[in-house]
Amino acid sequence: MTAKGHVSLHGIHKTFGTFEALKGIDLDIQPVEFFALLGPSGSGKTTTLRILAGLEAPDDGRIMIDGNDVTGTQPGERDVAMVFQNYALYPHMTLAANIGFPLKMDGVAKNKIPDLVRQAAARVKIDHLLHRRPGQLSGGQQQRCALARAIVRQPRLFLLDEPLSNLDAQLRLETRVELKKLQRSLDVTTVYVTHDQEEAMTIADRMAVFLDGDIVQVGTPDEVFNRPLSVHVAAFIGSPPMNLFAGQLEQGAVKVGDYEIKLPKSPDHAAGDVTVGVRPSHIRLSDHGLPARLYLSENLGESMLLNFLVDDQLVKVRLPEVRRFAENETTALSFEPEHIHLFDQKTGLRIGS
Amino acid sequence: MARSASKAAAARRNGFLIAAASLLLLIWVFPLIWAVIVSLKSESEVLAYPPRVIFEPTFQNYSDALFGGVSILPSLVTSLIVSTSTTILTIIIAVPAAYAFARLRLRGKKWLGFYTLATQMVPPVGLVIPYFLILNKIGWLDTFQGMVTVYLTFSLPFAIWLLVSYMEDIPREMEEAAFLDKANRFQTLWHIILPQVRGGIAVTVIFIFLNAWNEFLFAVQLGGNTVRPVTVAMFNFVSVEQTLWAKLSAAALVAMLPMIIIGIAAQKQIVKGLTVGAVKGGGRL
Repeated sequence: MTAKGHVSLHGIHKTFGTFEALKGIDLDIQPVEFFALLGPSGSGKTTTLRILAGLEAPDDGRIMIDGNDVTGTQPGERDVAMVFQNYALYPHMTLAANIGFPLKMDGVAKNKIPDLVRQAAARVKIDHLLHRRPGQLSGGQQQRCALARAIVRQPRLFLLDEPLSNLDAQLRLETRVELKKLQRSLDVTTVYVTHDQEEAMTIADRMAVFLDGDIVQVGTPDEVFNRPLSVHVAAFIGSPPMNLFAGQLEQGAVKVGDYEIKLPKSPDHAAGDVTVGVRPSHIRLSDHGLPARLYLSENLGESMLLNFLVDDQLVKVRLPEVRRFAENETTALSFEPEHIHLFDQKTGLRIGS
Repeated sequence: MARSASKAAAARRNGFLIAAASLLLLIWVFPLIWAVIVSLKSESEVLAYPPRVIFEPTFQNYSDALFGGVSILPSLVTSLIVSTSTTILTIIIAVPAAYAFARLRLRGKKWLGFYTLATQMVPPVGLVIPYFLILNKIGWLDTFQGMVTVYLTFSLPFAIWLLVSYMEDIPREMEEAAFLDKANRFQTLWHIILPQVRGGIAVTVIFIFLNAWNEFLFAVQLGGNTVRPVTVAMFNFVSVEQTLWAKLSAAALVAMLPMIIIGIAAQKQIVKGLTVGAVKGGGRL
């Protein structure tokens, strides 16, 4: 038997009035994959999820699940389950009734429902709360109830719309781990919408980065972080994101101001203006390099985040240790050639590998 | 120090509020009390001047109004039939209509909504003659179905308009969750929407029933002798020669009773309607 939950989107277009929410996206999600749709708000990730669920109809394009064209089918016919950002629990029903509702609608025999409900509730550890109503639960418990309602009928596809965004920071970290574990144990393809790139990086097997209604990169978290395909992805991924400098590409070297960095091999690109990207953790303080003045230092406990001014540009540097800095201290910033990302200044696309 | 000062201010404010409320209540309740007093007097005592405060109370007026020669009992039954039918039909039609207004993407929805509201702006008296002519033409004058149909033309727009606001308050995601849970539109309406707008329906039922029960203008013109609701039957006690004030008061109080009972019984429902659903970001708060 082939695994269930293979999703592919072909040329999906969607406009709301004059706003073009999706500009013809293509996407392929493998069975059992934990796939994140990452992007800032308004980038089209939630629209994509809703189109997958059947809650919105695309203006153009096709949606295939397990080889079947489901573009025109109703949400209930797609065998997918969704957890909404605000959980959308039914406030007038007990948890047991909430979790059992999809089974009831699916025509499962009445005497089998309580057992299935209890099993699903036990998986997310809320089986002791089944007689309560959603209003009597904490945010975290409501979230688990929404999860239980999704897993109870074993769908071929889970759709999660920013499920952790309403939880407090501590709980979010715990639930993130449990969510991943749950997905592993259930072996269900999961599509996860988030604007939190750290969440996407830690939880997803692969992800798609959305910007302005387009998918700008698809890849593993590692690929997206270490090889951003465009300057936009580079500026979005990472906390804090990559520092970007205006530079010039010359024969075998790249120059940022007067600081020249020799490249191990010349990229296949004409000499000229480029954008040079360096992650905050890849910048060193040294006695040669870009002259910089300390603007503000932030102590993060185990590490430090230093804000330098290079000319008038703010540059973030992450230091793995904590030490004291004098205000307005001047130093030089340097970086290794292998840590440099080069982007075409006009197209914003990555240069070289 | 500051605390006792603020306490005193709060007490003053409370005292003022209680006084104001008592005054308003007195103004509202005075005619009712007067009616109760009059209904317990004999006809001759009612007209005595100056009015006597001390008198021997009698329940004769009540028994006359209910079981006497010009009994209002049949009219009470008529009122009950007309009001109940109007209410039931209104709810049956208004609930799905309100749902459609609140949720479906219909062409011309905005105009239909305005039209619905506009019907409430027409002065009822302007409609008496057209309604009379229409009912006369189709032979529904002096009939129950005629009366109920006329009442529906007023109650439906009002009920739809009221219920739409309740339904719009239910988050859309809740319905979408139900669709994904394989519920169809009807099941979603039945299992998800209706239980959450119970309070709204209760409020609507009370308003519609009250309006139908209290209606006089159309009843007196279109009901004829066959359909004589209690508001019209009151006139049994008013004639050119004399007005039987004591019996009229007794009849009026009897006619008011169902309304008072419904009001008290529904109080809980109304409050519940406003507080049901305490889910974060969901339900009607």
